[in-house]
Parts: sequence; structure tokens; C-alpha cells
Amino acid sequence: MNETGEFGAGMRPEALLELALALGGFALFAALVVGLAYLIMRVLFLAVPAPAVVRFLSWRYLIHRPTNLIGVVGIFLGVGALIMILSIMTGFLDQTRKSMRGSLSDLMLILRASDRRRPFDAEKILEVVRADPRVAAASAHLSWPCFITRQGGNSMFMLSDPQLSRNAFVQLAGIDVDDEKSATEFHASLVRPPIYGESVADPRNPFAPPPEYDATVGMPRASVIVGDQLFDAHRLRRGDFITLIIPVRDEQSEYGFAAKEREFVVAGSFRSSENEMDLERVYLDRGQLARFMAGANEDDPLPAKATSVSQVLIKLHDYERDGDATAEELLDKLRDSGVVDGNCLLVTWEQFRGSLLGAIENERVLLGIMLSLVLLVACFTVFAILSMMVSEKRRDIGILTALGATPRLSLLVFLAIGFWDALIGAILGACTGVVLAIKIDGIERWLSDALDVQIFNRAVYIFDTIPSVVEVLPVTAIVLGAFLCTLLFAAIPAWRAASLDPVDALRNE
Amino acid sequence: MTSSEIVLRARDVKKSYRIARRELPILHGCDLELARGERLALMGPSGAGKSTFLHVLGLLDRPTAGSVEIDGDDAWRLPLEGRARLRNERLGFVFQFYHLVAELTALENVLLPAMIRWNSFTFDSKKAELQERARGLLGRFGLQERLKHRPPQLSGGERQRVALARALFHDPPILIADEPTGNLDRETGEKVLELLFEEQARRQLSLLLVTHDERLAARCERVARMDAGRIHNGLRG
Repeated sequence: MNETGEFGAGMRPEALLELALALGGFALFAALVVGLAYLIMRVLFLAVPAPAVVRFLSWRYLIHRPTNLIGVVGIFLGVGALIMILSIMTGFLDQTRKSMRGSLSDLMLILRASDRRRPFDAEKILEVVRADPRVAAASAHLSWPCFITRQGGNSMFMLSDPQLSRNAFVQLAGIDVDDEKSATEFHASLVRPPIYGESVADPRNPFAPPPEYDATVGMPRASVIVGDQLFDAHRLRRGDFITLIIPVRDEQSEYGFAAKEREFVVAGSFRSSENEMDLERVYLDRGQLARFMAGANEDDPLPAKATSVSQVLIKLHDYERDGDATAEELLDKLRDSGVVDGNCLLVTWEQFRGSLLGAIENERVLLGIMLSLVLLVACFTVFAILSMMVSEKRRDIGILTALGATPRLSLLVFLAIGFWDALIGAILGACTGVVLAIKIDGIERWLSDALDVQIFNRAVYIFDTIPSVVEVLPVTAIVLGAFLCTLLFAAIPAWRAASLDPVDALRNE
Repeated sequence: MTSSEIVLRARDVKKSYRIARRELPILHGCDLELARGERLALMGPSGAGKSTFLHVLGLLDRPTAGSVEIDGDDAWRLPLEGRARLRNERLGFVFQFYHLVAELTALENVLLPAMIRWNSFTFDSKKAELQERARGLLGRFGLQERLKHRPPQLSGGERQRVALARALFHDPPILIADEPTGNLDRETGEKVLELLFEEQARRQLSLLLVTHDERLAARCERVARMDAGRIHNGLRG
């Protein structure tokens, strides 16, 4: 379907020519693979002490029986589809991992509320963290829930999930811009083209008042950057004023907390690599959030007892190598130095997102298992074709026996046919699957263009190309698996051929 | 003729099949001798057990009792591979229904025994010489224009000549022909027989010819008759 949801009128004439050329190229490639298989056969049988008739007759049966092509095509399709789809799934998983990691950094120190009345000292924590040579950057975060209301008050609506039309809290994230840029993908989320929102005017100084802001008004004094989708849900424009309402502790209140509100100017939107973030998060300066929470004015110094940090995001030089060890050792250091207490946690981003990552990996494995069934069907096709062939060729088996063949030779002839089926199908499938996986984005664009149909809606994802990662190990495993599975299925009719009574076979007229 | 000149000897060969828990005897102790260069016809009505006896002699069907000696070796006491080698090197078969492999050309069909005997490496190294021999044989049988033809593209007589060339390719000392003209018209059958007898005489082959045709049997040196699983006149002398 195209963007308006309608199917296109048909294929362009030039596209037909391109398609014909592509198919011609594939036919040439398939012929080359068959030639390659023949060469492999010649070389292989020079080393194998099997009678020449095995090589000769198996190849001749393969070429002269069109039904064998069904088996080859089945293995080709199974191997090709499995490689292509697993590569795309791996690409999706890879991209999803990157996007999930983007807002988090490598390690996350979670400063959980405890009995202590003294707030955490962000500077001291950062000092200890940055002293570790494995740490590349660290950024203090102050996170707090809030409601958003639009300027103009009376028609107040509060929502964070426009898809469900449900009122909910959004998350205020107080950050230090430079630290955040060096420790997370914050900068990338500012410069990534928005889908719905408006980028900040100056990504180097994102909390600066936007050009649309009238400085003569004098209020509000602080800016916020709103997630792309949240920006759209509130129908915001750059320079708009919004009111944030936050709950704060108030021991005199009946419920133990009270609400505070303050007006902010919208500096622009950000587009992270996570849908959820774009829907629920609002960035502002960490000091401004701390002042807001403490009830101090924007220009006031930060009160001594103000809460100024709730998490610290830590980026490492080499996460793959040091991630787990650093998480463990750094927490001990922080505890030993007394800047955090026993309630705090230091986790890797993978531990933090463990369940979601596990779910995506499960999907990949399940898809792999389901697609393997296609291969199993292809192997069964080879089994069925060879079984039919053994029945048809009973007389030939008798002739070979009369001319001096042993049952082992009959077995080898039919096993070799399965071998050629597997070899040609697997090579062809592997090459095609890898090429399709690598070129999938271009192919999709070409098909969408040729058919006037939108196949992959890029607006849904944070990536602009279809991700695909071809890994050597899974490709090798698929090819070998298909090969061995086909041989196993071919062995059954081959064994039946070997156990045929030559006298019965010769009587078969 | 001394016993050392006997190339094929069957002694008290019995064969029975077990069908529905009942023993069905087919051969009741058959004796047969075939001397080097001898032309022996085996005659008998349908159901007499000729084909079964031929399969036992051709090492394709194991007898229930008795022995088959080929050049003095008790063939059925040999292991599977040994019997396969004997079939390949010492015996030539010509069947009533030709039994050619449809996917192979006439030339390739003739080369089949060589392909079974040698592995790929040896076969490839001898290929030119082997092909030359096969071409020569087919040329002598008047098939020089049919080398690349497949069996379905050949007439019945041509197919049987290809089958004869294949049986003779390894120059075996014993040729077993099971009604070789049974599926051919009279004129074509005659031509094939002429070739068969000519080659038999030229190569001094021992020929065991199964036939229903009395005129054909008359052209053999000796006629053994089979009836109800028993052979008369199977032994020499």
C-alpha cells in the first residue's frame, strides 16, 4: 500500500526490465552454482574410493529427473529465507539494543531512597566514579514524576499516552547538558530529525530560550525539551509555555505530600531511539529541577538540603570487557567512600533492561525454530522424491547388481543424489540469503517504488533503513544443518535401495 | 574334455521360497556343468524354474542348498564383495528385456561394468582407452551411429545389441543369456543371435542360453531340459 493506504496501479515498465535483468542474473548465478557443484563432485570423487558409477549415475539421475529440482528449490528457499530473516531479526535486535541502551549509558547507579535524611552529593559521587580509569564519562540525573498542563489553564489536560488516551505521569529528567552528552546518546536525540516535533534551535546549548521566546516577558526563566511524541500529544510549538505540576513531600499535608507547579518554556523536542522515552520524558536542567522541587526560584542558589541526584549514568571505555566487573567493584568503592549506602544499586544497562532484551531474543529464537520447519519440509521433500525414485529405479538397481554392484554401491548412488540436492540448494540458498540480507533495504525501496506500495513504514521505527546483520556463525550453522538434515533424510530411501532384492528388481517389468 | 575345463558347475542346487509359512520348493537338486567355450541351451516350459536357476547361477539369488562353482571357486561361500567381483569380471548377462539404464547413452551403458569395477580416479585415467574399446564393440555391432542415443531412442534390436556389447565389454569367460530374442521379431532376433554366436565362437565363451525355441536350441552343442525344478542332461558326458 502507498501512504494513503491504497495499492499502486501496477509495475513500472522500467521496473519490469530491472526485474528481468535481476532474474537473468540469478539464473546465471544458479548455473554457476550447478557448475561449481559439478566441479566439487569431480574433485571429491577423486579422493573418495567409491566406484565411478556412483558419481556418474547420481549426477545423471539428478540432471535428468526434473522432480529433483523440487528438492533443490525447497532447500534453496529454506536456507535462503532462514538466513535472510534471521539476519534481519538480528539487525532489529541489534538496533533495539542500541536504542534501549541509548538513553541509559553502560552502567546505572540507582540512588534509592533510604532512611538517611542527608541528600546524596552528586559531585562527590561523580568524583569517585570518574576516578576509575575504566570510566569514560558520567552524568548525574535527577528524575521526578510530573503532570503537564498547557498554557491557558482552564482546558487543562494531562496525558502521557495518547495512544490509550490515558492520563498519566510523565518523567522529568534533570540533567547537566555536557555530562549527558558525553555519557549518553542525548546529543543524537537532539539532532535526529523529529517526526512530529521541532528540534531545539541550538543543540550545543539546548536549554537556551528558543528564538520564538519573547525575552521581554521575563518569565518563565527555564526551558524544557519535550519528547517528540509527547510534544505532538500536547500540540506544542517551540516557544510555548507549559506548566509542570510535581508532587513534593509535605509532612503537614494530610497525605504527606503536596503539589507544586511552575511554568517553563518549550525549547524544542528530542527524538530518542525509544518510543517510550519520546512519549514520557521531559528534559530540563538538573539544577532547575532541584530548585523547583525545593521550592526555590530559578535564580536562587540551590538549598543545601535539596535533592539533586537520583541516578548516575556511567559510560565505560570498553563495556564488553569491563562492564560486569566495573559494576561490582565501583559500587564497593562508592560504599567504602561513604558517598552512597547499602540501598543503592549499580547495574549494567543489560541487567536493567533484562526482561525486554530476553523477550526480543526469545522472539528471534522462536522465529528461527519456526523457519527451520521450512527446512524440515524441504528435507522431507528430498526424502519423498528419493523414495519415489528408488521405487521407479528398482530395475536399475537390479541391473547394477547383475553387473557387479554391491548393496553399498546402490546406497551410495541414492545418497549422492541427496548430497547434490543439499549441496546445490545450500550453496544457492546461502548466497541468495546473504545477498538479500545485505541488500534488503535497497530491494525493499526498489519493490516499493516499482509496485507503488509502501512495504516497510520507516516512520514506525527509529531507524531509516531496514537493519540486517549477517553473522558467519548462524549462516554456517544453517548451511551445515540443512546439509546434514538432507543427508539424513536421503539416507532412508538410500538404505531401502540397498536392501532391495536384485531378483525382484530384475523381474520388475 | 577334463573337469578342469569346466568353468561353471552347479551341484545339487535346491531353492525354495517360504510363502505364508509354507515352504514352496522351486528347484529340487539341479546339477549342471558348462565347459570352456561350450554352447549350452537350457529349455523348459514356463514355471519350470529356469529363471530361478539362472539367478542362482548368476549369483543373484542364494540357493537353499547346493553349490555353484565358477572356475573352481565355490561362489556362494565367498563374501558379498567377492561374489560382486565375480559377477563383474567372470559373468556376462543378457536379459530378455535388455535392462539398459534409460538415463545413459548407448556408449555409457556399455561402460557401466567398468564404472562399477573402478573408482573415479582409475576410471578417469583409463577413460579414453575404455571409451575406445566400447566404441569399437558398438561399431562392430553396427551401432557406430547410435553411440550418443539413449535406450528410448533405440529400436528393440539395437537395444539388445547394446546389452550384448555391455555383457561382453569385460570379456567375461561365461555369458548367461535369458531368452535374448524373446522380445524381438524373428528377423531382428536372428541378427542378434548371429552376433551372439559369432562373438561366442570368436572369444571362446561358455554360453548358457535359456530359450523356448527348439531351432535355436538346435544350434547349441548341448541341450539341457528343465521340468518342475529338475534338470535332465545338465551334466556332461
